[in-house]
Amino acid sequence: MTKIDRRKFMKAAAATTGAVAAVSTMGTQAFAADSTIRHFWWGNPSRDKRTFGVIEVFNKKHADIEVIGETLSFPDYFAKLTTQVAGGNMPDVIQQGYGVLFEYVDNGALKPLDEFVGKSLDLSKIDKSALAAGTVNGKLYAVSIGANSHMALTNTRLFDEAGITFDPFGWTYDDVKSIGVEISKASPDGVFGTDDNTANYQNFSDFVGQKGVTMFNADTGDYQVSAELVEEYWSMWTAIREAGATPPGKASAGLIKPPMAEWGVVTGQTAISYAWSNQLVGAQGLVQDKLGTAMYPNTPAMTPGSIVQPSQFICLTRDTVDGVAATTYMSAFVNDTDMTAILGLERGIPANPDVRAALAPNLSEAEAASVAFFSGIQGKTATLPPPPPSGANEIEQTFERIATGILLGQDSIPEAAANFIRQAGFIRRRAG
Amino acid sequence: MKKFFAKNGPGYFFLIPWFIGFFCLALGPILYSLYLSFTKYNIFKPPKWIGLENYEFMFLYDDRFWKSLEVTFSYVFMSVPGKLIFALAVAMLLDKGMRAIGFYRALFYLPSILGGSIAVAILWKQLFEYNGVINSLLAKIGIEGPYWLNDPNYSLYTLVMLGMWQFGSPMLIFIAGLRAIPRELYEAAEIDAASKWKQFYAITVPLLAPVIFFNLVLQMIDAFKTFSSAFIISGGAGAPLDSLNFITVYLYNEAFAFYRMGYASSLAWILMLIIAVFTGVAFFSSRYWVHYENERD
Repeated sequence: MTKIDRRKFMKAAAATTGAVAAVSTMGTQAFAADSTIRHFWWGNPSRDKRTFGVIEVFNKKHADIEVIGETLSFPDYFAKLTTQVAGGNMPDVIQQGYGVLFEYVDNGALKPLDEFVGKSLDLSKIDKSALAAGTVNGKLYAVSIGANSHMALTNTRLFDEAGITFDPFGWTYDDVKSIGVEISKASPDGVFGTDDNTANYQNFSDFVGQKGVTMFNADTGDYQVSAELVEEYWSMWTAIREAGATPPGKASAGLIKPPMAEWGVVTGQTAISYAWSNQLVGAQGLVQDKLGTAMYPNTPAMTPGSIVQPSQFICLTRDTVDGVAATTYMSAFVNDTDMTAILGLERGIPANPDVRAALAPNLSEAEAASVAFFSGIQGKTATLPPPPPSGANEIEQTFERIATGILLGQDSIPEAAANFIRQAGFIRRRAG
Repeated sequence: MKKFFAKNGPGYFFLIPWFIGFFCLALGPILYSLYLSFTKYNIFKPPKWIGLENYEFMFLYDDRFWKSLEVTFSYVFMSVPGKLIFALAVAMLLDKGMRAIGFYRALFYLPSILGGSIAVAILWKQLFEYNGVINSLLAKIGIEGPYWLNDPNYSLYTLVMLGMWQFGSPMLIFIAGLRAIPRELYEAAEIDAASKWKQFYAITVPLLAPVIFFNLVLQMIDAFKTFSSAFIISGGAGAPLDSLNFITVYLYNEAFAFYRMGYASSLAWILMLIIAVFTGVAFFSSRYWVHYENERD
């Protein structure tokens, strides 16, 4: 029998408990800190490693504060946070997204930051637009830790092999169709031109903007998209699919909001996938072919549909035990160049110009590509709408569910579109 | 009273740890969830009493609730009989007394230990992918496999198979039950030239009835509560097209994705009532088909 020593056993135990990785700064600090701050975020292995690195640097610099990191995957993160809200034991500092921020503010789960600004929280260098995005009803609730936009990822090898050139900042859905068909033809069996966006709500929200429609009424929160628009979107992607540019509908039906490892460009099944710009770095790490970047496709009118928005915020919760210590940490997280150097661009483009300048000389190829993408989209994006109202998340899931029926060829597009709009209206009424 | 304890005392004694757990840990939350089922509660703000509104909405307007019942019932009615028949067949095979019987018993029990785990659900998902193992095996015999997991016409069957595969614990109980049947009965039947089949339904089934009943109740309750495998295989959302939206998955999402704790609680109580009714029906019907050896008529 092999001998299992204590260390091996601990390792195995840690691996099996897995889900919550709560790493304390064991061993780095001999003295008890005056204040212990918990920082909770959703992540992926690369982000977790970087963030724990940041915490280590902070703890070394601030002997009086000890930060403890906690992390989970995105869906588990919010499930756990919800129970912590109910239990009144949210961590001091939490990560938030633009989509749910409003719901948390509205329900009083977050603490305004205004009393700390200029004292423990230095925001003098942060871009005004980033601060505006974290401001709700005149109070600052959230500090942006990276900007983001929709980005299409292309497999440059497959594009080259099919001999395709296109304008990555001004291509249309017709281009997607013709490029997709060409790549499907030029590539081996089982490789297709593009992922199928029939059930991709990110693409749909772009399309709504491109048609000049604002998704939610700013005052009432009403869902303002018409059934005709939904029908047009689904018909358009059905045409792209039927032309042979995408994998079969039944295959795409299993890829609703897939994890990165199942994206077409990552598995090699397609040459175009649709993502967020800060995901380029992670995705490039999973594929050998060089990934190219493009905006999401548009209609010939080229009305902007994509927005630049904070990918993530850090927020102070109402359950914090020491607001000053917590905001000291938040301040360092966005300003201290020793710490931001470790984070890089993994959470998006930082909102502090000094931080951006400090990162510039040491960017990886993928990071440089994402910076270039950001300069390319200047002037081609729409203005940031107010944070979506309660129920937005459920509307998105409903869209995905009904779109699955289109992908499977089971439901007629006009009926499905009318059904979706009816349900979206209902969800909003129920949420209000 | 004294007589009751003299007879059942040891049984209750062994139940003490369970009673402690139930009264100290579970009872409070259970009653609280009953209260919550009459409220609107989004976790952030205190619950607001709305009477029967949740139940009214559920029965009158919520199509997804009815669909989730359909899915859950289909699963129970397919997986439970399948699993019991499978478990009994394997138990009878193992009862024959072959070599290394302990090894096989452990081997067949293994899936039951693993089956509930997340890892197996993920593995199952990969087996049934379009390019997965199952379809490449089917391709070898010239059958083009379907999109098992993406097609609502097939998705539930993959879960039924996963459920049936975990036949270990009813199998062990069946083996114990089979052991308890006196061998003389079979010997007498042999002498009377009864066929194997006749022996099975005239001796094995009636004498095994209490064990079959016990397994039926346990497995039925278990099947109604299926969650983790359905959650993983359906990507957490009951997809495709709600074909895997078990009532447990539905109530989880209502609670933790959409913050409707009150409504989720009312769904949970309906599930609990359904389980209670089915268990009750099983107990009631058992009078007619289950006979205990030590029963006095």
